[in-house]
Amino acid sequence: MTRDVTRDLNRDWQPDFERLVDEHQSMVFSLAWRMTGDRGLAEEIAQDVFLELDMHLAHIDSPEHALHWLRRVAMSRSADALRRRRVRGVDLWVEIEENHGAPAEERSTPLSARLEQLLATLPEPQRAALVLRYQEDLTPEEIARTLDSPLATVKSHLQRGLKLLRAKAHSTLKEFIRGA
Amino acid sequence: MALEPIDRDAEFEGELRQAFLRRPAPPSLKRRILDARSRRRTARRHHRMMVWQRLAACLVLAAITGGGLAWHRMQEERRGEEARQQVMTALRVTTRALNEMNARLAARKQADGE
Repeated sequence: MTRDVTRDLNRDWQPDFERLVDEHQSMVFSLAWRMTGDRGLAEEIAQDVFLELDMHLAHIDSPEHALHWLRRVAMSRSADALRRRRVRGVDLWVEIEENHGAPAEERSTPLSARLEQLLATLPEPQRAALVLRYQEDLTPEEIARTLDSPLATVKSHLQRGLKLLRAKAHSTLKEFIRGA
Repeated sequence: MALEPIDRDAEFEGELRQAFLRRPAPPSLKRRILDARSRRRTARRHHRMMVWQRLAACLVLAAITGGGLAWHRMQEERRGEEARQQVMTALRVTTRALNEMNARLAARKQADGE
């Protein structure tokens, strides 16, 4: 019944590009930034993702579809950018840290910044799973759908990523982990 | 007091959620997206117009070439017809001359016989 009502509402839903940009720009930008570690590149990726959305707007039929589409394409374009950079031999994450280029008000707390630094050292698949899990609050099933990966693989990436991150945090952030 | 492992997991995950809050997008991002979209649309419209213009030019060129070829063919046919008419006229004149010649020869032969 509720699903029927939602479907009826979605049938009348018309995508409004500007509104979608307003609603989701920080999500797309944050995903791209955390995946690439490069603010400038993240802005480029976010711009490309929204331009691609504009071209596919006719196929977007609900707000949820738009959100899922944006997450999927943002992750995919970020992975492409990382691959291109690897091919060019650019050392990633050289600049993530001290929040180069970020306005003062955007700077995170030392702990958050440190955790982000540590996240940056994880392998890409684990980083992707953790970012979607803890930034977007997605379930492993949703992450699997977003990344087009098997659920078992996603669960394994989450588990290993978390373990690795905790181990790194344990050695470098003892003051933040009580009982360590 | 040391925390239980489960509590530590939950606390660590809480820290992660806090650390991975969405970052605000740069204020200029939306404007840049809309500008790029507008530029892309203009470029696409321009490209589409160019395609139509090229198509129209091709059609005009094809029509001119086709018309030229048809006209050339008509001219050839007209000239061929004229030549045929001239040959027919020449044949008629020749036939008439030969007939007259035959008639004269026949008349002379008859006169010689008598």
